[in-house]
Amino acid sequence: MPRLPSPTVRLRLTLLYGGLFLLSGAALLAITYFFFRRSTGINLIVPNGGHSDFSRQTLEGIQSSYAGLERAHERSLHQLLVDSGIALAIMSAGSIVLGWLVAGRVLRPLRTMTATTRQISERNLHERLALPGPKDELKDLADTVDDLLSRLEAAFGAQQRFVANAAHELRTPMTLWRALLEETLTDPDATIDSFRATSRRLLALGEEQERLLESLLTLASSERGLGRREPFDLAVLAEAILRDESPEAAALGLRIDTELDPAPAAGDAALAARLVRNLLDNAVSHNVPGGAVHIRTGTGAEGTFLSVANDGPAIPPGQVGRLFEPFQRLGTERTGPNDDHHGLGLSIVGAIATAHGASVEAEARPEGGLAIKVRFVAPPQVPHF
Amino acid sequence: MRVLVVEDHAELAESIARVLRRDGIAADIAEDGEEGLRRAAVVDYDVIVLDRDLPRLHGDEVCRALVARGGDTKVLMLTASGTIAERVEGLSLGADDYLPKPFAFAELLARIRALARRAQPSLPPILEHDDLQLDPGKRVATRAGERLALSPKELAVLEHLLGAGGRVVSAEELLERVWDEEADPFTTTVKSTINRLRAKLGDPPVIVTVPQGGYRI
Repeated sequence: MPRLPSPTVRLRLTLLYGGLFLLSGAALLAITYFFFRRSTGINLIVPNGGHSDFSRQTLEGIQSSYAGLERAHERSLHQLLVDSGIALAIMSAGSIVLGWLVAGRVLRPLRTMTATTRQISERNLHERLALPGPKDELKDLADTVDDLLSRLEAAFGAQQRFVANAAHELRTPMTLWRALLEETLTDPDATIDSFRATSRRLLALGEEQERLLESLLTLASSERGLGRREPFDLAVLAEAILRDESPEAAALGLRIDTELDPAPAAGDAALAARLVRNLLDNAVSHNVPGGAVHIRTGTGAEGTFLSVANDGPAIPPGQVGRLFEPFQRLGTERTGPNDDHHGLGLSIVGAIATAHGASVEAEARPEGGLAIKVRFVAPPQVPHF
Repeated sequence: MRVLVVEDHAELAESIARVLRRDGIAADIAEDGEEGLRRAAVVDYDVIVLDRDLPRLHGDEVCRALVARGGDTKVLMLTASGTIAERVEGLSLGADDYLPKPFAFAELLARIRALARRAQPSLPPILEHDDLQLDPGKRVATRAGERLALSPKELAVLEHLLGAGGRVVSAEELLERVWDEEADPFTTTVKSTINRLRAKLGDPPVIVTVPQGGYRI
């Protein structure tokens, strides 16, 4: 069954124009008619008095010609009404046609924009409407759509990079896994010991994979937002994590400076602990022998903060932003034994911070290494829990 | 046959090299792109197995440099990002073949051998001399229909001598083509391998020693 076209904006605009014209035309006619009628009537003045010179016959003649005039006037008024009605109908039809054309003209840029936008979203997101012309409502709309496309393109790009990187990150250990298995299985001289060694190595690889999966899940869940809000103190979290990390840092010959003042914040304490741990891991594993890690927490004018700075290889300032993208590592130099976070550590920090409404500032230190400051919004003063 | 494995994951590189050696292919390892190019400049490799994501110098750059240098070396690219677009890109840079990770060793070996054959197109798929036959793909040598129990190294030496088609092959050439950096580089190693090979091949003798020259079949 063919579907009736829904009333378009063009049709509605046309009806609006036509209706308005009809209304104002009718009003104009009514007013004209009223004034015309009032100003063009026939006045018969018959002098009153006893001594009338009019003969009865004359009076009758006058009366009859008056009646005739009256009828003629009525007729011409009627004629006026009919003519005006016809004129109004013709003009109304004309205005509807004109209205249809004008509405089409007004809506044409909009239609072009729709078609272009549809093409862009089907084909390639890097094209823009780039509507020329003066700054008006339509240009404003086109610019807004362009902004939206830019953000969409960036988001799609980030997602594609993420998927490609995740695939790469998962395939690399799979390759090693398969290679080690095949090497041992196809070895005619394989011994129990070589099978044992391979099994142990595969187990270790499996554990590494589990950590990668856990990191991916943390990233996904922290990007989804916070499930709960509870108060916590960044200083307390940092202290607990430092107790775990200090031996490892000491084993690598690193010095840890702490300056932990109370820093109350609210959110998911487990995720916040993950944030602190990832920052510390990053500071420890991308350090230099004999280097230092500085950790500070406290409360400033804009809320509470956690800052972690570390010595390390010099980072080009332009590269700092990239560190927060998933799977990005700069160079291969690292002091730590292995990279537990698979290049996800700092992107998890970024995602957790965003979920908490916290801001992350990272800068490359001129003497080498990285300084990262996370500012949390201080929790509202809650009187009771 | 001598192969260079350019792969930054040391463990994977070693595993590949071990499997290649087990199959009688001399394999060296380079852990980054720059080292790979350096090694390729010194030794004339038959095939270079090149990982695409390399530190220091990207695999694409290495491939481009190798192609620009010319020569018979074939490049087999490995990469973990196996989209079709990437594959096309790798091949258009001049790589001769392409294998996405993760791969099966059987396939890697078959492709390496196929590439090496393309480097010497005149060689038949099965090498023959009188009643001696060698199938490089199956790694089997027979004499008068009887299968010879050769070690991978002995088989490789025999393959190279047969492939030389009567030309005199020096001990140094055998060292470069059949042994890799894992082996101790002494010509006495060649001599003892040749002697073992002669013993296993039986009578009448096939390998001829050319004084001051080398060996010939």
